[in-house]
Amino acid sequence: MAYTTFNRQINDQMKEPMFFGNPVNVSRYDQQKYGIFEKLIEKQLSFFWRPEEVDVSKDRIDYQNLPDHEKHIFISNLKYQTLLDSVQGRSPNVAFLPIVSLPELETWIETWAFSETIHSRSYTHIVRNISAEPHKVFDDIMLNEKILERADDVTRYYDDLIDGINLYQRCGEGTHTINGETHSISLYELKRRLYLCVMSVNVLEAIRFYVSFACSFAFAERELMEGNAKIIRLIARDEALHLTGTQHMLNIMAAGDDDADMAKIAKECEEEAYAIFRKAAEQEKDWAQYLFKDGSMIGLNKDILCQYVEYITNSRMQAIGMKAIFSTTQNPIPWINTWLVSDNVQVAPQEAEISSYLVGQIDNEVDGGDFGDFDL
Amino acid sequence: MPGVKLSNGVVINFDGSAQTLLEALERKKLEVNFHCREGYCGACRCKLISGEVNYINEPLAFVRKGEFLPCCSVPVTDIEIEIP
Repeated sequence: MAYTTFNRQINDQMKEPMFFGNPVNVSRYDQQKYGIFEKLIEKQLSFFWRPEEVDVSKDRIDYQNLPDHEKHIFISNLKYQTLLDSVQGRSPNVAFLPIVSLPELETWIETWAFSETIHSRSYTHIVRNISAEPHKVFDDIMLNEKILERADDVTRYYDDLIDGINLYQRCGEGTHTINGETHSISLYELKRRLYLCVMSVNVLEAIRFYVSFACSFAFAERELMEGNAKIIRLIARDEALHLTGTQHMLNIMAAGDDDADMAKIAKECEEEAYAIFRKAAEQEKDWAQYLFKDGSMIGLNKDILCQYVEYITNSRMQAIGMKAIFSTTQNPIPWINTWLVSDNVQVAPQEAEISSYLVGQIDNEVDGGDFGDFDL
Repeated sequence: MPGVKLSNGVVINFDGSAQTLLEALERKKLEVNFHCREGYCGACRCKLISGEVNYINEPLAFVRKGEFLPCCSVPVTDIEIEIP
């Protein structure tokens, strides 16, 4: 029940559920209950990049020449992305690590959250470059009502889960009086909070991020803010992997072989899951309204972005076995796909051809023939 | 040369000129959603109604029974598919 950093209980890790079994002791990958998480780790590592590798210096001139309403679109979008990655850089660790029971999943969570911290650092790289007063951009995130409204829904499910875990790991199941206040927790309730949390993370990564990507790429379609787009492209490549991770977790939970309770919970929470998707889509449409309040930009306006919200929401729901809730079936901005193709992502010139360029890849195969023309 | 039958009746021959099913569909000007084209994002998910496909790279994206990813697969037999 209580968390321990090195669980002394000798257990068969292959028989543990993803969450709420024994805490992980030995970080071993010679055997894996779900090999997919190990594959995701390897892929994520092969994607490694650093913001400083991307030259964003031309963006400064582009930004200065943008009309005010486009400056508003660009910078608001960037602030929203900063909020999302601030949450994602820490929350998976804080929420999931104390309850995870499989080493490959534990390491995937850490790898996942780490890559989000790179995204956060890249926003500072971008903002420093386009503004002489970067602090004003970041300070406003905590004051901007439109962003804070979003923060509320993005973090609520994480906070509910973390709060429940704290109580459960300290006091166990039951009703407890702490500082004069009564709190109840059961393992089943915790599992419910976990399911809803993973669902809301999936919504964050699969819908909210993509709406913001659409705005970033809309500038670059006009050959503006291209350094920024290059960075966002690398971020998008990482996010595609992260949302595949959460989709796998959700699908494993719903199947029930891993933990029969989770399958039951997935059924019970169906309506709530639909509500999470619906609310996120509505919020993103609201956000589109705010972005374009002073005017549209070439190639993107409020209506097109709202249609994209509906389109992407439908497709993400279907990916986890839910039914589409909007009538939109066509992607209103098909040009976004070209920006999301992984092999067009270029960091350094030598990496132009393959996305999974590995540093120090050496051919270790040597045989006698290789010395054939070698004389002393 | 396996044939690819679409749910709307269109039939395409997979003659090897395209590397993947996604490419073959695009050459016929069919609109299929895609992002990564490498099998890890799952954006191109289609329904596999009958037949068998082979993956060039094993996909990382979650693929349900009765679904497949055209971006990293080729048909082994005649197949019937549905593009969402």
